[in-house]
Amino acid sequence: MAGKSGRTISATPDRSVLKRILSWEGALVVIFIGVLIMGRVLSPSYTLNNVLREMPKYLSEILIALPMGFILIMGEIDISVGSIVCLSTATATFAGNAGLPFPVVILVCLLTGLACGALNGFILTRWPELPPMIVTLGTQIIFRGIAEVALGSGGSASYANNADLEILGKKIGPFPIAFFVVLIAAAIFIVVLSKTTFGRKLYAIGSNRTAAAYAGIKVNKIRFIVYSLAGLMSALCALFILTTTFGANTTTGQNYEMDVIAMCVFGGIATTGGKGNLFGALIAGFSIVCLRIALGQININTQLILVIIGLLLIISVLISGITQSDWFRKKQLAAKQKKAEAAK
Amino acid sequence: MKSFLRKLTGKHEVSLAIIMILMFVIIDILCGGTFHSFTNIKDIFRNNALTLLMSLGMLLVLLTGGIDISITGVLAFSGMTIGLMMKNGVTHNVFLLFLIATAIGTVCGLINGLIIAKGKVSPIICTLGAMYIWRGMAYIISGNAWASAQDVSGYSDFGKDGKIGPYIILGVAFILFIVMMKWSSFGRKVYAIGSNREAARISGINVDRVQIAVYTIMGALAGLAGALSVSIYASAQPNMQTGKEMDVIAACVIGGVSMSGGRGTVLGTLLGGIFYAIVYKALPLVGLDSIWQNLIKGIIILAVVVINVVTQRAMKRQNLARREI
Repeated sequence: MAGKSGRTISATPDRSVLKRILSWEGALVVIFIGVLIMGRVLSPSYTLNNVLREMPKYLSEILIALPMGFILIMGEIDISVGSIVCLSTATATFAGNAGLPFPVVILVCLLTGLACGALNGFILTRWPELPPMIVTLGTQIIFRGIAEVALGSGGSASYANNADLEILGKKIGPFPIAFFVVLIAAAIFIVVLSKTTFGRKLYAIGSNRTAAAYAGIKVNKIRFIVYSLAGLMSALCALFILTTTFGANTTTGQNYEMDVIAMCVFGGIATTGGKGNLFGALIAGFSIVCLRIALGQININTQLILVIIGLLLIISVLISGITQSDWFRKKQLAAKQKKAEAAK
Repeated sequence: MKSFLRKLTGKHEVSLAIIMILMFVIIDILCGGTFHSFTNIKDIFRNNALTLLMSLGMLLVLLTGGIDISITGVLAFSGMTIGLMMKNGVTHNVFLLFLIATAIGTVCGLINGLIIAKGKVSPIICTLGAMYIWRGMAYIISGNAWASAQDVSGYSDFGKDGKIGPYIILGVAFILFIVMMKWSSFGRKVYAIGSNREAARISGINVDRVQIAVYTIMGALAGLAGALSVSIYASAQPNMQTGKEMDVIAACVIGGVSMSGGRGTVLGTLLGGIFYAIVYKALPLVGLDSIWQNLIKGIIILAVVVINVVTQRAMKRQNLARREI
């Protein structure tokens, strides 16, 4: 059967091993293994235990990458998540220092994030013609601004009762709790995206929002839920950040939005919407985390990671961009015709 | 229809100017008539010269429906390069250093443009990657060290307080852009692409080439801003102007530039930049601590875009009502 773009859609998907490795997710797995081998070769201290010990510092960013994947699949963007992390650590620190029991502190932290995300969602659904980029730019500055005002001129506050936070920073075997939380959250998000109507609706909105609305999908309701979810997951990330920083700072979570978007895009999610899956984003996230740890171990300029992430990002989108360009399609078509002629 | 559109775009600048003048007078009264002094107004322009300069390039980029968030990375890389050149005693020639910084920026912008236009990569992702790369490169070439005021002495006289260098660059750039956007075929092509890319392509505009040119101009301005930044702040650090790209975008948006392309003027951008600058300058004077600045800034950006949408909706409704009669 021929699809609208002329591609043939067969009822039984091609599941050959070669096709799987050649797919983007397959390439990512290879890259991930490559990163691990590179780390091991470069530094003898790049052992499983060391990697797992360093992990919580970076791992929690993957928690935000999951809802960001949803947002990108809808063809939108949220650049306020880093500031939500900042504000959530601040409220959690204040709540903890006010003597509230730890479960309440967690609740305060999560509610802060949820409220921030809901505010984004409210503005974007109340005035749907507003571009998400500029709205979340505004709220990005506002959320961090609130944290700055709350934290005062010192710009930081430390969490008085460290014992509470250490519970969250504990390990089960060699694995930190954050590791399991990331895996569980990823499993839930992946299942929701690929197996539920909610997930399919996200793809529909991303492919063509107007068509989705006419097809009876409550676009604004779904957008509101997804943006709120992004806020909630940012707050969850903030909780695990607290277990490594033991306090709030006005610079906490700076540039997280960029890291997270990089994970998603590197994982094969198209920012134009409607394409990609979270499995790729998860592997990409782990690759970047392990690369960071490896570069940290061998003591080279830590800023080199910026250049590497940037290059990875551009190259990964460039590859998909080129394969979709007219030039490449013409070449492919010509090659196919040649083959057909030769067969004759 | 055309005259109506012209009125609409004209209206935003007029209302913005009125709000700005009102705000200026109120602030002036609040702080006892010290705000309208010559030094104060001069300071407003000097402190925001980088934002104002880069907002011109951002206007072009936004008009084509794109976005460029790599500008401060490019700024840091070009600024750091000339800072290091002075530190290592290569040259202290002001003109030459400005030329080198602008050239670096131009190359960075050209790479962005090629990737976006020829590689069919979405602008935000390409420039996000470029932001990482150039910011990282600034750190790597500097080895995490600064070029201090001593290193750049002599050069920094160009942008020192009281010198007219930065104002001349700003003035020339704005006049050039007003002429270019209004009366050159390139300017009209940029608007055409932003309003309807397919129509522009069919009517014979080389969309790819215009896009590459737009990002190259943006890069050149970012490089120039890098040289200016080293001169004004008399130092070069790898982390300079971090996050300021959002200020530049905000200035454009306040000035009425549409994020989806095709709408916006140089005059509006200038007004948006000055509006932003006045708020920034006024907050400490009216008694608000500097820690309140970001909060107020964010609220202003949101308020402006929401008000924009609300007035546009009202106008549309009015038009419809008029047509029904």
